[in-house]
Amino acid sequence: MLESLFFYMFGGLAIVSAMGVVLARNTMHSVMFLIFCFFNAAGLFLMLDAEFLGIILILIYVGAVMVLFMFVIMMLEINTAKLREGFLQYLPTGAVIALALLIEFVGASRAGVFSQGAKATAEHFGREVNNTMEIGKVLYTKYLLGFEIAAIILLVALVGAIVLTLRTRKDAKYQNISAQVNVRKEDRLRKVRM
Amino acid sequence: MANVTFPFPFPEHLIALLPEMVVAVMAMFLLLFDLFIPKERKVLTAWLATATAIVAGVASLQVMGAGTMVAFYGMFVLDPFAVFSKVLICAGTALGIILSIDYMKDEANVGEYYVLMLFAMLGMMLMVSANNFITMYLGLELMALSVYVLVGYQRDTLRSSEAALKYFILGSLSSGMLLYGVTFLYGVSGSFDFKLIGDALADGGGSARAATLLGLVFVVAGLAFKVSMAPFHMWTPDAYEGAPTPITAFMSVAPKVAGFVIFIRILVDALPAVQQEAEMILIWMAVLTMAIGNLAAIAQRNIKRMLAYSTIGHVGFVMLGLIAGTSEGYAGILVYLSIYLFMTMGAFAIIILMRREGIQGELLDDFAGLSRARPGYALAMGLLLFSLAGIPFLGGFWAKYAVFIAAVQAGHVYLVLYALLFSAVGAFYYIRVVKYIYFDEARVAFNFNDSAVMQATVVVMTLVIVMLGLYPDPLMGLCASAVAGLI
Repeated sequence: MLESLFFYMFGGLAIVSAMGVVLARNTMHSVMFLIFCFFNAAGLFLMLDAEFLGIILILIYVGAVMVLFMFVIMMLEINTAKLREGFLQYLPTGAVIALALLIEFVGASRAGVFSQGAKATAEHFGREVNNTMEIGKVLYTKYLLGFEIAAIILLVALVGAIVLTLRTRKDAKYQNISAQVNVRKEDRLRKVRM
Repeated sequence: MANVTFPFPFPEHLIALLPEMVVAVMAMFLLLFDLFIPKERKVLTAWLATATAIVAGVASLQVMGAGTMVAFYGMFVLDPFAVFSKVLICAGTALGIILSIDYMKDEANVGEYYVLMLFAMLGMMLMVSANNFITMYLGLELMALSVYVLVGYQRDTLRSSEAALKYFILGSLSSGMLLYGVTFLYGVSGSFDFKLIGDALADGGGSARAATLLGLVFVVAGLAFKVSMAPFHMWTPDAYEGAPTPITAFMSVAPKVAGFVIFIRILVDALPAVQQEAEMILIWMAVLTMAIGNLAAIAQRNIKRMLAYSTIGHVGFVMLGLIAGTSEGYAGILVYLSIYLFMTMGAFAIIILMRREGIQGELLDDFAGLSRARPGYALAMGLLLFSLAGIPFLGGFWAKYAVFIAAVQAGHVYLVLYALLFSAVGAFYYIRVVKYIYFDEARVAFNFNDSAVMQATVVVMTLVIVMLGLYPDPLMGLCASAVAGLI
């Protein structure tokens, strides 16, 4: 009873805040709604005994990714009025697609495994099963290949971001370390006869 | 979860990943190596990257065992199908790098450019060896992320940045759709493994049918984006036009190979239970793809944009092989993609050669009068364009023949007639370029930067196309044996 109460609370708030992300007029408010949505999703994870995923969601997404989002949005000058141009023009097409998708989703979620009391499929392992350890066990064994590829993807993201933004500017001052190390006394000191 | 024992057994058949390991290690090595060589000798990085691609292709052939090899606890599979596509991908990448050497030599940070190409190749190689959605998706993202950066590499030109941004945003959206579809398939089958999903759906598809179909639709949409099938093709012309020309050549070949291979694997292994529905979706998409690709190409004045639409048209023809759903159809896809690789690389090599002082050499008008200035290039371009149009007894004819025959055998006669119609429409805009080359007066002086490598590439590609046109049997045989164990 209490469990379903919490489920509906977290689930409902997640949906409401997700709507807020899309509908908010101010981009900053959208980000705030998204953070709130992540907190609720983390709550759902906790209810499924997946405490590791819940905490990771808050630490990484809320703590790092969304904070970065906020910085980016603060730095950009976004003209929301311009973004909303043509909203009515695209509304009919968008509404038809959204409606079709909604019907599909409802149909799909009433079929198969989703219909047999979705909550029943999430087993409770109890406190003797350590969620973090179990994830670690499969992550570094069975899914090792995926883990390694993910590492390479991160490297590519890093290299790509630097390549696209790094530019050597002629007017910027740089440290020339080898010149600094190789400097001799004669270069800097000048004996002046007094 | 609880049955994981420690020490976990060491991954078997690690040797199957040798080519991937070579590429990963070499890419990281080149990333560092490039820092220590002076700017005028950066070409060394390019040649080492080319060598890596070639070695990876040869290594793939070497490690191929008698049958199917599975490594990393079933996360990675190496069968003749994967090996064949890896060789194609490595060839495409090696050619892409060779085409870049002259084109990119004045760009900043040119070393990372080749490294990113190698990483894209690594992603594609992992993708074609995937037999589950995890390896597939990670390979796909590795490829896509590298290609996004490569498209925007000329960051000082507006159209390059614009192309990269469009490609990145739409690409991320399509990855999201793909993942969403995968979650539905995971929901109904409890597995990421293609074969296990296929088994789970074969006996219990009934009650979970709606969810399965939704998964199918989203997975098909996500993959269709990557191989630019209509109506998911919108990014293609902009990305192709804005990207550096060698990258346009690269991305019109290699990612298409990887995309179609994984498409085949998913349809054959994971979703045979809904083959009827998949076929219906694909038929309508093919109808749309062929029409949009071939009709829109006629209106283009920029040859890169024209070839972008032509790629969409060709993808429509390749889809006939998917729709046929037989071994012959899948073999036809491999034949098509192999021949398409040579045609496209040759044509783009000539387009790159057209770039000269102050002129991008990308407009159709720039080709006017090429035959009088450089008859050799004009002949090569003419042959390659005729081949792309599918004129008999050039390579491109056999490519179309292979998929058309397979589709007819599978009973899709009307669809093939429709494809023939659009093949004829396609011939119009290819041959129009030949008209510019042979019958129009030159407007601008030609002043080719004759690099020996580029000339050799053009000559080799053209010869391959002519030879494949006269004697296609070995390639057809190879492709047939590559897909032999698939179904």
